[in-house]
Amino acid sequence: MSKLASRPDWADDEEFDDPSALPPQQVTTNKDGTKTVVSYRFNDDGKRVKTTQRIRTTVVKETVNPRVAERRAWPKFGLEKGHPAGPSFDTTSVGENIIFRPSVTWKKDGKEEQTKKDDPKEKLKNMKVKCRICDGEHFTARCPFKDTMAPMGEDGAAGGGAGAGGMNGDDAPEDKAGGLGTGGGGYVPPHLRGGAKAASGGERMGGKYERDDLATLRVTNVSEFAEENDLREIFERFGRVTRVFLAKDRETGRAKGFAFISFADRTDAAKACEKIDGYGYGHLILRVEFAKRAT
Amino acid sequence: MRPILLQGHERSLTQIKYTKDGDILFSCAKDQIICAWFSANGERLGTYHGHQGALWSIDVDPSTTLLASGAADNTVRLWDVRTGKCIKVWDFNTAVKRVEFNEDGTKLLAVTEKRMGFLGTIVVFDIVPDVDAEQTNERALTITCDESKATVAAWSYLSKYIIAGHEDGSVSQYDAKTGELLDNFQAHEVDMEIKDIQMSPDRTYFITASKDKFAKLLSARDLSPLKQYATETSLNSAALTPKKPFVVLGGGQAAMDVTKTSSRQGKFEARFYHKIFEDEIGRVKGHFGPLNTVAVDPLGRGYASGGEDGYVRVHHFEGAYWGFQYEVEREKGEESADL
Repeated sequence: MSKLASRPDWADDEEFDDPSALPPQQVTTNKDGTKTVVSYRFNDDGKRVKTTQRIRTTVVKETVNPRVAERRAWPKFGLEKGHPAGPSFDTTSVGENIIFRPSVTWKKDGKEEQTKKDDPKEKLKNMKVKCRICDGEHFTARCPFKDTMAPMGEDGAAGGGAGAGGMNGDDAPEDKAGGLGTGGGGYVPPHLRGGAKAASGGERMGGKYERDDLATLRVTNVSEFAEENDLREIFERFGRVTRVFLAKDRETGRAKGFAFISFADRTDAAKACEKIDGYGYGHLILRVEFAKRAT
Repeated sequence: MRPILLQGHERSLTQIKYTKDGDILFSCAKDQIICAWFSANGERLGTYHGHQGALWSIDVDPSTTLLASGAADNTVRLWDVRTGKCIKVWDFNTAVKRVEFNEDGTKLLAVTEKRMGFLGTIVVFDIVPDVDAEQTNERALTITCDESKATVAAWSYLSKYIIAGHEDGSVSQYDAKTGELLDNFQAHEVDMEIKDIQMSPDRTYFITASKDKFAKLLSARDLSPLKQYATETSLNSAALTPKKPFVVLGGGQAAMDVTKTSSRQGKFEARFYHKIFEDEIGRVKGHFGPLNTVAVDPLGRGYASGGEDGYVRVHHFEGAYWGFQYEVEREKGEESADL
């Protein structure tokens, strides 16, 4: 309100619009104790720029040693000679806030975060020892999930009593044809392919979704005219989708009726699973479940 | 914790030092000037001009009247802290890598580089802690390091010993009066240069930082190793925090390797370790180059770091820092409170 009052009448405005003259700086004190400073300047293109700053002044009183107080009043010298008191903007700035919270478990916390972050890269880098159960960097015999999870290959190779259902038949042949490379899963280095050759193709397949199976959904009964983008659109509304894999026939290029959707977050995946299971898409009713088999 | 960024230098920082009261921070860099900053708000008090080469080291005397600096122009200069005037120049044959005042500011040591046929030396001058007084040209003591050159040096308690860190990773103890070599201890791996030595507040023990990725706490009396802190990067600087039993380590891979790695991998962070338990308790990010020097406010209120990137970052500790305690410390505190 006060700002309006202090401004010249809008009708007079035109007359003051002399390009060489700048309106004077206006300082208004607000009710909450802050000050609003409105200043004008010309920018590099010669245009008039209005800058509005709200400034809150806080006075912090501190009792210091007299020696320190005396030094505080020393005149500036060298490059700073003659400069007014207070930090100058060209030498001093305030950085972004850093949360520094010392903790004993600091290292552990940090590591978890890190591995999550560079998951794909790290995986490829440190592939030397790979657990067949959890894909971890240790021997299968030492796997902490040894008793609770079946090895990854079992699902594909042994025909899986684990609810893979009718889709399993489709699954295997494609894998043997090296479907992984074509199936939108990304490049797999040759040394990894070699290792998987000995086992069944299913293991590779398993390995693929086992990696982030915590938040991966298996969608079956997908229309054969479906596209990956369609699926992504459907699932994206529940959270960030990191990967959509739609199994396609190599010859015809048509969908084979199942897909995998990976979410960044498991809770999103759970929500999506609940909502989309039974959702009609195309002429079929989608069936959605977590890709991880029951333990 | 909002750090204050100080951009007063155009080249990489080499050393930063707080005054005894922690109110002013001095920084020197390879760009030949010294800056003085108020640590509370980052305001620059002034600059000291005169050196003709990269500055390697600075130190301020305990009364904050004199500032000493050593540079690659083969001189040590003494400055009036208040006005920025140079009041004394000592010439040497080679670059000066380290200067330090003793506890009461009456002696100054300077470590000279081994180069051009000259051996590395540690030189001591008597200082009159007065701006107007005439300073002597005479060297009170010259220690020649004929085996491995000294890279850093510091005064022990009561100015009794001079502790020197060497290029070969060993630490020497010299008698500060006679210059006699009393002891030499291979504290770090062989041929891993010691980059920094900082004394504890009472100067009875000190911390070393070396290229071998370790920082070690040693006793000044007999050079016995007390603690060690393992990191995964070569270290350039280490400091002890008063009031809380922590150490701050600064490092990062050598400047010449920086372009080969991303800043995420560069490990350009200040690392905090617990002084007693030797555990890493946290890191502070910010620099985008290795940390060349870290310094802690002698009153323990904050710390500053200077990096290869030319920035000084001044941090003031906040709640979580002061509240952090180990379980055992807390229990002990409760016990004594009950009594």
